Amino acid sequence: MNDNQKNIRNFSIIAHIDHGKSTLADRLLEATRTVSTRDMEEQVLDNMDLERERGITIKARAVKMSYTASDGETYTLNLIDTPGHVDFNYEVSRSLNACEGALLVVDATQGIEAQTLANAYLAIDADLEIVPVINKIDLPSAQVENVRREIEDVIGIPAEDCPAVSAKTGQNISQVLDAIVRDLPAPKGDPDAPLSCLIFDSYYDSYLGVVVYIRVKEGTLRDGDKILLMGTGARFEVVEVGVLEPFGLSHTGTLSAGEVGYLTASIKNVRDTRVGDTVTHAERPAAEPLPGFRAVQPMVYAGIYPADGARYGDLRDALEKLQLNDAALQYEPETSAALGFGFRCGFLGLLHMEIIEERLEREFNLDLITTAPSVIYEVVMSDGTVRYIDNPSNFPTADETKEAREPIVKASIITPSEYVGGIMDLCQDRRGVFFDMKYLDASRVELHYDLPLNEIIYDFFDALKSRTKGYASLDYDLKGYEPSKLVKLDFLLNGDQVDALSFIVHEEKAYARARKIAEKLKDNIPRQLFEVPIQAAIGSRIIARETVKAMRKDVLAKCYGGDITRKKKLLEKQKEGKKKMRKLGTVEVSPEAFMAVLRLDEE
Amino acid sequence: MENKTLGIYLHIPFCLSKCGYCDFCSVAGSDKRTKNRYLSALSKNMTQISRQAEDYLVDSVFIGGGTPTVLPPQQLKKLIDDLYRAYFVVESAEFTVEANPATVSKKYAELLVASGVNRVSIGLQSADDGELRALGRIHSVKDFEESYHIFRSAGIENINVDLMYGIPGQTTESFLNTLKYAVSLGPEHISAYGLQLEPGTPFFEQKDTLALPDEDTEYSMYCYAEEYLQENGYEHYEISNYAKPGKRCRHNLKYWNCEPYLGFGASAHSDFGGWRYGYVADLKRYVDAVEAGGAGDRLCAERAVHTPSSFETDYVMLRLRLCDGIDKKIYEALFGRPFDSKYAERLRPFEAGGFVQNDETSCRLTTDGMYVSNTILSSILDF
Repeated sequence: MNDNQKNIRNFSIIAHIDHGKSTLADRLLEATRTVSTRDMEEQVLDNMDLERERGITIKARAVKMSYTASDGETYTLNLIDTPGHVDFNYEVSRSLNACEGALLVVDATQGIEAQTLANAYLAIDADLEIVPVINKIDLPSAQVENVRREIEDVIGIPAEDCPAVSAKTGQNISQVLDAIVRDLPAPKGDPDAPLSCLIFDSYYDSYLGVVVYIRVKEGTLRDGDKILLMGTGARFEVVEVGVLEPFGLSHTGTLSAGEVGYLTASIKNVRDTRVGDTVTHAERPAAEPLPGFRAVQPMVYAGIYPADGARYGDLRDALEKLQLNDAALQYEPETSAALGFGFRCGFLGLLHMEIIEERLEREFNLDLITTAPSVIYEVVMSDGTVRYIDNPSNFPTADETKEAREPIVKASIITPSEYVGGIMDLCQDRRGVFFDMKYLDASRVELHYDLPLNEIIYDFFDALKSRTKGYASLDYDLKGYEPSKLVKLDFLLNGDQVDALSFIVHEEKAYARARKIAEKLKDNIPRQLFEVPIQAAIGSRIIARETVKAMRKDVLAKCYGGDITRKKKLLEKQKEGKKKMRKLGTVEVSPEAFMAVLRLDEE
Repeated sequence: MENKTLGIYLHIPFCLSKCGYCDFCSVAGSDKRTKNRYLSALSKNMTQISRQAEDYLVDSVFIGGGTPTVLPPQQLKKLIDDLYRAYFVVESAEFTVEANPATVSKKYAELLVASGVNRVSIGLQSADDGELRALGRIHSVKDFEESYHIFRSAGIENINVDLMYGIPGQTTESFLNTLKYAVSLGPEHISAYGLQLEPGTPFFEQKDTLALPDEDTEYSMYCYAEEYLQENGYEHYEISNYAKPGKRCRHNLKYWNCEPYLGFGASAHSDFGGWRYGYVADLKRYVDAVEAGGAGDRLCAERAVHTPSSFETDYVMLRLRLCDGIDKKIYEALFGRPFDSKYAERLRPFEAGGFVQNDETSCRLTTDGMYVSNTILSSILDF
């Protein structure tokens, strides 16, 4: 270890959502005078509006701090923030691999939650030194000693002397800084070895091209170097390298083993700079790439259409722009008889999908129609070939297929023990297979279930929250595909099948779902001039039906005193409204009504 | 040269009390001074415009409101005299005054007849006192009947009775009773309006708590009216209007035939000289504007010139309110192209559904079609 490395600490902060990760990060920035209190916009690291509003971190960020410890030495602290949601588990694991240590933040009033555990395991897998930090000790319901015990008992790391702080008030923050310097290891690595850098994030900047966040593991990277990305095989010439200051990039010209920073190389697209890939020198490459790189695969798919068909081009441009910054977002054009031209989009999970939808609507001012989210199904056809179905309307009929398989996840749910019964009912209802149950302490339980992914992508979180007054937490990992009795449920309006309403469902649940959606259609389709029969069908078998009664009255009965203008304006407005309507076969439905049908808020 | 004809509307925006569903320009409880000022302005307004209508013969007059008969008889008579001074009202003109039950004495009625009024429109709305209370009407069925007979004995030979369906608490049975009651009196004309909830009215605010009949019930009331009134010798000639042969309301027909009319008073509308315009609906603003000289930009809340295409849209929109619909020969003569070249294709789906009859000589909405006419018109018209 050289002198330079001795005074570097690279670390992440990991926590369950709302346990105070971003607030702690803010206090560290303040305490190290990296950011003055005056400049402190709440939560510097979460700089997307959406992140601040939702209180979650979507993108990884990194920032360099300088801290003079009680030993008189000045240390460089690189904080690498991680996304805080199960959708982004892979990104989290890559960010952790860029560090030597992690602060595990636990809320003193809540104790360990599902993501606390999941993140702790990720950190242990990445061989990180973990420093627990008990947060929110200013709250009257804080139970610091219980939480210490819980951390030791459940995770198995010492917590007796760990910092107990209030990130909100700043209490004991210096203890955290001292613990970072004292307990976390300095990075290793040979500055003269062949270059290998881990990419842990990147974003597109319209002036610089892609800005790639890297941790140099071995070797030294300089301006002008010719580089190779070992996973994608892409080659570039580095324009500049530097470090990450809180309010921007700071050009240094060189980065060497143990350091965290950025590179730019006139890269046009983030798809070339995948998280987890290895940057090496083109001339003198590393013998092998850093372990763990994989291309992220979307787990959830949905059709996204502009509410106003004329804005298809705008939607395409918007998706293109978002993808510049989000390699996990996939999309390809798709046509629906009902909804016109749009895109089938792939997302890491439901949160990712919601974020993309919200960004499209907010940042690009688009009104969207989104179909029900779907997972990818594996279908073994009669001839033995395997097809992957991401759009329910492409699901083959029963007689074309030998077997259908669906993705199953291993789910971990942590809950106060009084809610176990309710959660078991919920999981049972969602076709879950019970695996085991562990008491974390006298009052808290960790449950393990295998659950079909398509049962949890709609509303599982909400159902879980409502059954446990918000106390239960969930984490899951893809386990694999398993054979399942899946059927495609179609809906017909006035005898015409509406492709955008089809979805895949387990045979046992088809009937209940069919009835529910048919009812919703009935409630949301405005009365038309004719009676509209609604039918739900599996193949040619009708399993539910409803009727929208014919419209009887739409008339301006009086036309008083010769006020023609008012009547005309009314009709004109009605005609405008009609332009926004989508024709589902012969039935006209507003985009709002369509979305209301697809909103699957159970109970 | 044949003289052109004109309809005149005079708006009296005063009532004894305001009904919960009413969004007309009318106020309750105005003092004498307000009424006097308004009436002077109204006469002045008529006179200011009269020179532009020198070439016209007035063959219909309609004094509406509000409740014109809340005015003292002499005041109403003076207004009518001012009208006669400013315009040439022909002997045979249809002259309607709106009246609410319990506002007219025998003497009042005789004075109106002596002034040339030959048609009266009385608001009964319902033959059920409970429903009248629900509407906020301040008269009883008995009050109505007395007023009806007063007009009859004063010599009014053309009476319209206004009925309403869709009233809170109303049933098809009670509406049928109302129809029977109205028909039993033998008026020449019956208007049957569906209650409409207009933004800004108390009814609109309370719509969720009012026990309104549902859409299907209201539709069956509309069908009852059409069936029962036709059986009893009333022709259904406009969405909400029925008349004995020869007794269709000439004045209202002018609106639907796109013929010229002048309206005076707050919120009154006119179609005259190639313009459609409407006066401000605020009494004070109206009076001030007239007193200040009656310049159009202060007096008018809206004003639009007829273009060939707007006129065509108006014509189709309004003529299709009438059961006679559009005469294709007349349409072609007016607009220089066959009706079907523009509309046949647009009307096809509605024809198939039984909402429109479009044959060689004419195009009209069916009874069912009339009741969803907004849907049809908003779909076929260009704006």
